[in-house]
Amino acid sequence: MGFTDLLSKYGAQYFQALLTTWRLTAISFAGAFIIGILITVARVSPIRPLRIFGDIYVQIFRNIPGAALLILLVYALPYLQIVFPYDVCVTVATILIPSAFCSEHLMSGMNTISPGQIEAARSLGLTFLQMIRRIIIPQALRSSVLPMTNLLVATMLTTSLASQVPMRPRDLTGIVSYINTHDTGGVTAFVISAVLYCLTAFAIGKAGSLVDRKVRILR
Amino acid sequence: MDNHSPVPMIELRHVEKYYGDLHVLQDISLSVRRGEVVVIIGPSGSGKSTLCRSINRLETIDSGEILLEGNPIPQEGKKLAELRAQIGMVFQSFNLFAHMSVLDNITLAPVEVLKKGRKEAREEALQLLERVGVRDQADKVPAQLSGGQQQRAAIARSLAMHPKVMLFDEPTSALDPEMIQEVLNVIAELAKEGMTMLIVTHEMNFARRVADRVIFMDGGQIVEENTPDCFFSDPASQRARDFLHSLHAE
Repeated sequence: MGFTDLLSKYGAQYFQALLTTWRLTAISFAGAFIIGILITVARVSPIRPLRIFGDIYVQIFRNIPGAALLILLVYALPYLQIVFPYDVCVTVATILIPSAFCSEHLMSGMNTISPGQIEAARSLGLTFLQMIRRIIIPQALRSSVLPMTNLLVATMLTTSLASQVPMRPRDLTGIVSYINTHDTGGVTAFVISAVLYCLTAFAIGKAGSLVDRKVRILR
Repeated sequence: MDNHSPVPMIELRHVEKYYGDLHVLQDISLSVRRGEVVVIIGPSGSGKSTLCRSINRLETIDSGEILLEGNPIPQEGKKLAELRAQIGMVFQSFNLFAHMSVLDNITLAPVEVLKKGRKEAREEALQLLERVGVRDQADKVPAQLSGGQQQRAAIARSLAMHPKVMLFDEPTSALDPEMIQEVLNVIAELAKEGMTMLIVTHEMNFARRVADRVIFMDGGQIVEENTPDCFFSDPASQRARDFLHSLHAE
């Protein structure tokens, strides 16, 4: 099958798959972002067990392959009588892994804050949480827009894990497997998905640079 | 406690601190009365900055006691934060919050710590900026200001907390020469208004002008305590004489 045949027959399904990938990406990134911030706060908190927990969390989820994590969630947990729907498993996997990277980016964003500012905040009587909320996290976020943009793209690519389980609706990678098992889409079927991934990544990259230029901190 | 004299604003009793083997504060005892301006001078590495920073516990001490109005400085947590809120601190490198406007730098702590209303905090901040002469810079971020302007804004930020005492840790050491005076003038103004202050500085003329008392430190010890006139014209200790001589020789 050529381009036109594929698009005329599966165009609507590609479109739905694109939306599914976008949805998964948005949910995963939002979840990763929130957990990433919480883990980062734990990692710099004055409470040692929390710091240790945060560091271990990051070490685990930064270093585990997405496919391995998904297989654990889908096929290992049921042995413990824990059964999640497929889409929940995919979402959990695509949140946990990017959240570790999110925390790493925030940690390096924090390193741009001069220690003097922290001393100033302390000397004004701010508590740890006030300092986190008003000084540390805002500056760490504003200094890490570009790595976060990369993380958003990486999160999108990680959502292709959805194709490894029978999740409905299918994502951009899942639709290719579907077409190629029912039809003879061949490489062309992949190319269409690849183009849609690329266009999305391009848009994310553009938006990221715009945001970065707007919020970058003058030093 | 001696009931005949009022409780000192700040009191240090036999404070000791080590950095590894280095004995940076050696049996430091010192008190600052309400409304008094005490200037600490001494060669670099003498422990004067460490002493200043230990008062609001930006440096911990190994033994001894530090009291604010007779109450010991708490070790950590909320109590320590509450105490720090009563002590203003001005740093060598200004340390304004880089991501906020000058105005927000000043209203932050009054709103967060003192729970003031935003509007009230803002009005007071503008008055303070006016007082230190940078009102027209209120909406800029710190990096857009000169060093002298940043330091004056940092002083305003401390004043917004209505501190009982102000600590200055070499407030003009990072400034270009032409900006030093504008900052010193603000501090001198505070002195005139009766603010209790402990100032670490290398500006000898300024020290002589504003100090009620001069403390000379060297090698982690208080070597001499004197009135500014006596200290600068006829210091009692050989080490102070050597130090002042080395300045004049420059």
